[in-house]
Amino acid sequence: MNKLLISTLLASAMAFPSAAETLRVGVATAQTGALAPFDTPVIAGIHIAVDEINAAGGIDGKIKIELLERDVRSDAAQTSIATQELVDEGVSVIVLPCDADPALAAIGVVSDAQIPAISTCASSPTLPQIGGEYMFANFPGDNVQAAVSAKWAHDEGLRTAYIVYSPDTQYTTMPLYFAEVFEKLGGKMLGQDTHTIGQQDFSAIATRIAALDPQPDVIMTSTYEPDFPSMLKALRAAGVESQMIGSDGIDSPTTFSLGAVAEGLVFTTAGHPTEGSPLEAFNKKFEEVHKKAPETVFNAVGYDLVKVIEAAVIAADGSTDPKVLRDAIANLENVQGATSTITYKGTDGMPLREVSLIRVKDGGRELLGQPTPDASLIPEPRVQ
Amino acid sequence: MDLFLQQTVNAFALGGTYALLALGLAMVFSTMGLINFAHGELMTIAGYILMACGLAGVPFALSVPLAICAAVIAAVAMERIAFRPVRNASGATMLVTSFAVSMILQVLFQNFISARSQAVLLPQVLSESVRFGGLVIGVNKIAAIATTIVMLIFLDRFMKHHRVGIAMRAAAEDFSVARLMGIRANTVIAGAFALSGFLAGVAAVLWVSQRASVDPLMGFTPVLKAFIAAILGGLGSLRGAVAGGFLLGFIEIYLAAYLPQGMQEFRDPIALCLVVLVLIFRPNGLIPSPALKAEKV
Repeated sequence: MNKLLISTLLASAMAFPSAAETLRVGVATAQTGALAPFDTPVIAGIHIAVDEINAAGGIDGKIKIELLERDVRSDAAQTSIATQELVDEGVSVIVLPCDADPALAAIGVVSDAQIPAISTCASSPTLPQIGGEYMFANFPGDNVQAAVSAKWAHDEGLRTAYIVYSPDTQYTTMPLYFAEVFEKLGGKMLGQDTHTIGQQDFSAIATRIAALDPQPDVIMTSTYEPDFPSMLKALRAAGVESQMIGSDGIDSPTTFSLGAVAEGLVFTTAGHPTEGSPLEAFNKKFEEVHKKAPETVFNAVGYDLVKVIEAAVIAADGSTDPKVLRDAIANLENVQGATSTITYKGTDGMPLREVSLIRVKDGGRELLGQPTPDASLIPEPRVQ
Repeated sequence: MDLFLQQTVNAFALGGTYALLALGLAMVFSTMGLINFAHGELMTIAGYILMACGLAGVPFALSVPLAICAAVIAAVAMERIAFRPVRNASGATMLVTSFAVSMILQVLFQNFISARSQAVLLPQVLSESVRFGGLVIGVNKIAAIATTIVMLIFLDRFMKHHRVGIAMRAAAEDFSVARLMGIRANTVIAGAFALSGFLAGVAAVLWVSQRASVDPLMGFTPVLKAFIAAILGGLGSLRGAVAGGFLLGFIEIYLAAYLPQGMQEFRDPIALCLVVLVLIFRPNGLIPSPALKAEKV
């Protein structure tokens, strides 16, 4: 009897404070497989932010964050299963993979359980649109990025464009948004090509573009490694001199090590470490923790994600109730992350964030600007 | 006409790379009846050596042989560690073993190197191009075509005149009889793996020189293409593998070049349909292996 009493007391003593002072965050992301290159850096950023907050005593000095992590192997079905497991464990917030497609696979589970979910770095504006009120993104939308780069191209006096896109994922259809904005601005589209993700050889496409007369002023694509370097090299080897525009997927060391072929390349991304910026501070911190410089801005995007959760808990007066947290996230304004300020208020879950426009110069990055495009220029999300 | 010639050069370059890949698979299949799906990981290993050499400042001319050596060593080690214990098991066991080796290596790369692509520094000359009349040909295309020709000549001579090559051909035809003649099974199979590693290493250099980066899953696409090419050419037949590789390269490039815009999305399925069509008329492949005792009922 005594033993039972003691163990019951012990159990309740252990259970009570943790229920009140811990925020359980479920992380169902890809540690292996095709999405791992994007999810693992975000997770590294999440860990840095969580350690930092917990070391300072937790959110608001009292609520510690506990991460429950599952590997979804870049698989849509596995994402749904892992999410269900995390829901059963009673998490308050769920982090989903980078790509819109596996994130959407978990949406049924998340909506039923009424737990807010944030995708690590999916940038398709269709994600919260399809996902409903419990789905949030954590990256500048594809349509916003395309509006920024199309506006830049137009301002530079580039009037004709060609796009190369892949219908394989939502993200790789960003050039379709670009074409829409470019035409709205008065530019002329000369044509388009499609490719498959993982396509090794772009020589047929490059030869076709090289045969165009007149040559397009600008070629836009949102393909990323390893396809992008292959495409760029094929185009340049075929004699195509047009301005190339890419997107955040090529914000990677490979792009800067390509040498002469990448000179002058312009792309949009989530942030740029200007002097004294939070991103610069984050990069320093990352280097302290990992003893090497971050390879990608996705690390900082993970930090942003935790900052959003922290801000939501504070806004909800320390509540860890999922429904309360959802409403708190949806009403967040100007949360200071590492890459940008983040606002969800007034959006459908696709955050308002800065877009940085970068040019490759002498193998390094040159900031062209961090413009906020005119709202009338941003195309409507389109379900591919 | 220029455009057609240009696309034909593209097709030769791509087809040549596919031929080298398919040959690597066929080499192992012809001796031990195993489709080695970990062949792609041999390429990834060679790619990582190129990356490491680039970072260490080793000149490209030296890092290429190093990368190829690494692929050969890895292939021989793979045979010794993973495939020798299951050599006498069923074909399915060996197939699953090769998938396991492939996945284990991928996860090791992801966890111990990086999940993200790593840049490979390449000499600038590989990005340049040369003009021949109206044709613009990239240096890496010329390199791919030249390498393929040299490799094919080397392999032909090796298989015809070298002792191990002759032994491998004998083993491919009838392993039991070859062993009765005093040919050592271990030597022949290790030799086949070493050669397939050599081919994977060479193909990896060509492959990486196009994409300038290496990632843990890099081997998947090439091994898939090689498999299709090997089936198309006739499984187990070396000449068939070469023919299949080139035919696949031509199909892919011409479809990408001449399929109407609206159909481009269906390029890959159409390419595979063409492969199936060829197989309907030649069920054992373009140049079937003489040792293939496929019973058709």
